[in-house]
Amino acid sequence: MTPAPSGSLLAATGLRKAYGPTTALDGADFSVHPGEIVAVMGPSGSGKSTLLHCLAGIIRPDAGSVRYGARKLSELSDAERSALRRGEFGFVFQFGQLVPELTCVENVALPLRLGGVRRKEAEQQAMRWLERLEVAGVRGKRPGEVSGGQGQRVAVARALVTTPRVIFADEPTGALDSLNGERVMELLTEAARDTRAAVVLVTHEARVAAYSDREVVVRDGRARDMAGARL
Amino acid sequence: MTAHNDGTGNDSTGNNGAGNDGTRSDGSGREGRAPRPGHGPADRPAGPSGPAAWLRDLLMGARFTATGGREGLVRAALTALAVGLGVAVLAIAASVPQLLDARDQRTTSRSVFPAGADIPPDDQPRKGAGTLLYQHAATDFRDRLVDGAILRPEGPGAPVPPGVAALPGPGEMVVSPALGRLLASDEGKLLSERFRHRTVGTIGDAGLIGPDELFFYLGSDRITQGGGVVRIDGFGSSQDGPVDPRIVVLAAMVCVVLLLPVAVLIGTAVRFGGEGRERRLAALRLVGAGIASTRRIAAGEALCGALLGLLAGAGIFLFVRGFAPHVVIRDVGVFPADVTPAPVLAALIAVAVPALAVAVTLFALRGVAAEPLGAVREAPVRRRRLWWRLLIPAAGLALLAPGVLQTRGALVFGPAFAGSGQTVLAAAGAALLLTGIATLLPWLVQVCVARLRGGPPAWQLATRRLQANSGPAARAVAGITVAVAGAVAVQMMVSGMRGGYEGPPGTVASHSQLQAQYRPGTPDELRAHTEAFRATPGVRDAVAFVEQYAESGKGPGRKVTTVHVAGCATLSRLAKLDSCRDGDVFVAQEKGGDVNTAKWFPPGTELVMDGFEEAKAQGVPAYRWTVPRTARVVETRTAPAGEDTYGILATPSAIDARAIPDARTTVLARVDPADRDDAIERFRNTAAAIDPGMRVWRRGGVVKEDHFAAVEEGLTTGGVGVLVLVGLSLLVATVEQLRGRRRALSVLVACGTNRSTLAWSVLWQTAIPVVLGLALATAGGLGLGRLMLALVGEPVRDWSAFVPLVGAGAAVIVAVTLLALPTLWRLTRPESMRTE
Repeated sequence: MTPAPSGSLLAATGLRKAYGPTTALDGADFSVHPGEIVAVMGPSGSGKSTLLHCLAGIIRPDAGSVRYGARKLSELSDAERSALRRGEFGFVFQFGQLVPELTCVENVALPLRLGGVRRKEAEQQAMRWLERLEVAGVRGKRPGEVSGGQGQRVAVARALVTTPRVIFADEPTGALDSLNGERVMELLTEAARDTRAAVVLVTHEARVAAYSDREVVVRDGRARDMAGARL
Repeated sequence: MTAHNDGTGNDSTGNNGAGNDGTRSDGSGREGRAPRPGHGPADRPAGPSGPAAWLRDLLMGARFTATGGREGLVRAALTALAVGLGVAVLAIAASVPQLLDARDQRTTSRSVFPAGADIPPDDQPRKGAGTLLYQHAATDFRDRLVDGAILRPEGPGAPVPPGVAALPGPGEMVVSPALGRLLASDEGKLLSERFRHRTVGTIGDAGLIGPDELFFYLGSDRITQGGGVVRIDGFGSSQDGPVDPRIVVLAAMVCVVLLLPVAVLIGTAVRFGGEGRERRLAALRLVGAGIASTRRIAAGEALCGALLGLLAGAGIFLFVRGFAPHVVIRDVGVFPADVTPAPVLAALIAVAVPALAVAVTLFALRGVAAEPLGAVREAPVRRRRLWWRLLIPAAGLALLAPGVLQTRGALVFGPAFAGSGQTVLAAAGAALLLTGIATLLPWLVQVCVARLRGGPPAWQLATRRLQANSGPAARAVAGITVAVAGAVAVQMMVSGMRGGYEGPPGTVASHSQLQAQYRPGTPDELRAHTEAFRATPGVRDAVAFVEQYAESGKGPGRKVTTVHVAGCATLSRLAKLDSCRDGDVFVAQEKGGDVNTAKWFPPGTELVMDGFEEAKAQGVPAYRWTVPRTARVVETRTAPAGEDTYGILATPSAIDARAIPDARTTVLARVDPADRDDAIERFRNTAAAIDPGMRVWRRGGVVKEDHFAAVEEGLTTGGVGVLVLVGLSLLVATVEQLRGRRRALSVLVACGTNRSTLAWSVLWQTAIPVVLGLALATAGGLGLGRLMLALVGEPVRDWSAFVPLVGAGAAVIVAVTLLALPTLWRLTRPESMRTE
């Protein structure tokens, strides 16, 4: 177990997680600094998504710790972790992330509304993000009525609307063609850099990882920093 | 994509790849492509066709039910459970005719004469070695009927009642197991004082209506023919009496109320997992399955679910049947063996449920289209049409209208109604109206939720979900709507119609007044009996007198009154007498009362006191007596039973009470309200010691007409059952829907959504359609109840019949939400996001 690097916004040390007999993480370490984009790579089943879920406080690791700033996630209650995810983190998944019954603008506004922002104001902010992500035209449509690329941009807008400090993106372009995928990555990283948000980007595609500042490879449940190799 | 015949193949319509089954232009890319050598249509092995194709597709559908992994198995289990619940209710309903028949048989087998028949002694068998004297004897204990008979064999071949091994001798008795247990218990201690006979045997099931029936046969060597004692040479006589056609209409409505929600439930259950099924079928279409083939596969899935449901239903039915003894119908539980579905109805269920499942599934598949990636694009939300939904209740109204108009124009519910098809028309009209309510609900829900805007996130999530697809929720709620609407209507009918049967309720609020009647006694006996009753612990007051109806005049001028014979001490309790001596007669006039006794029966009036049919048949002459000139008019006084006793009051020397045919001794008593229940039983014990055939009843209670009470009991039992059933189906539907949205929900939680927000959204999602359904049900039920009462010519007596039912419906909403929460909690665990 290595100590968390100083100045890191989010750091994990010695994470272990098993699903029954299957070990997903076996002493993984990870850290990300403010404004940094880190790609987490690895083959299918290597534990990338599990690492992301542990980092985001979605699941509790069996062992090890995750620190966000001065706070240790394992010491937070479920409600506190929910509040953290709602206000400080943003999420983009591969698919199935938008509420199918809500319109696109309502989906984007949802995190703000859950945080207590009034509907009109929340939807105004949501519209600004939809415009920035070039999907203002689909604001009144439901997710089932828009293309995959448009839906993913709506999801990115939803992840950014609360101006999070960390964005977790799990295979954000996995269901998109290369052109759409690259546009989504451009918009996501551009917006993240503008807001100085850190991005934890889980992917197995090298061209997606190319948008990151640093790569971490997860293999057999352990994370290995590839920064040196890349340089 | 290369076509293949692997069981999901393109040729499943039986066209052997001829390409005219609609599969060639489905986006598979095969259209116009030249077949590769060795793979052309001519070279492919011919797929099954006709019945073989049907069988293959149905089996494949069935396999999908079982091979969908844990998800599929859970879905299949939910479907089987919901369908099974419906099937169980249907099976129970199908058992009702058998159950009633079995009870009727049991009643018949131990009866001696048709109910209500008054058989003259000459029409009774002649005394012989094979005859038996029989006197019906019943008592009550804690408001439960303890029924039985006194038997006196007249020879060695005397008939033995069913369920009894040997006739009890004098001083002996045989009792039902429940009565035996009661007599042996502390609770039955007071009752055991009434049964001094020695128990020599137990009555078997064959001689009882239900397992908990309190029944007895007492042996006697003292009863003699006449005065309620009849001679018989065998047991077994039909007890069928005419049933009021209004009861038939009510019963028909109760059946509709109970069974329509079950049909709705089964229809809802077989659509569980519909979205997943559509995706599977779309994938099959992409690999070349024809439209007809996919429908057969869907039918196979539905069939399998329905068959599993039939099996589950059989299991639930057998389980529930074990509780039959606890189902009390008219004070007596049910033998489990009597709860057996009629064979024809059981066969109908076995055929109808799978057929309904297939029909509903195929209906649900309309408008489902395959997408290139195998997903199904849902058609835009279609606006539900109102016109055909209105046709159904309109048809119901059309069936009911002639009856209503006839009733208004002519007399009230004449005999024509009973004998004609009007009863069927009324039941069919009510059924169509209720069905119309169920079909109107989806339209109403869609129209209403489309107007809902704004609100907090939980409300928004719920309303948007309903706006996107209100069908499942409306379907699930349709059951509750029909049940409540029907129950409201039936409740209105019951309260309206019963009003004509019952006396004013609560005339004596304390229920501590008693009345008993038995054979006439001598003045000395009367005095002794009165003293015995007064000396009974807990009895505050008691009077006893001999009475009989008397009439004067003939034709329209005929007047009827009652003659009471007792000593001065008793008479002074019934009226305000300034003086009294044996031989005096009084005309008791109620102050301010409707009956002007003094005017109608002045001194000198000749009164005729006649016996009942049996006495007339025996040639017993009527007793004629003239009110003496010395009779004085006096004012009545409230008797211990709480009512004024008006009419003719005579002392024993003034009239020969023993000569009055069929005169009876009446005892009026009042017990200590603080010791009421035990005092009543002690009073009954005293009565039984005087005459085992004496029946004691409490005054002042509401006397329910038996048939209405039975319908009301059925409605209450069935209504509760249906609400529980609808609640369960709502719960299963809610859980199923949550499972279908598991990923979306868990992503919401991952993004920081509080679970309480999701819980509230589930509550709103359940509550909105249920509230709309209850509103529709209330309006529809009140309207239908009003119509049905108009049909039978009765006024509305209770507009508030909907309140308890609506309350129960609201309780269902809360219960369903609370019970769905654990599933919501479990499904929204972050682990649900894992796809590996």
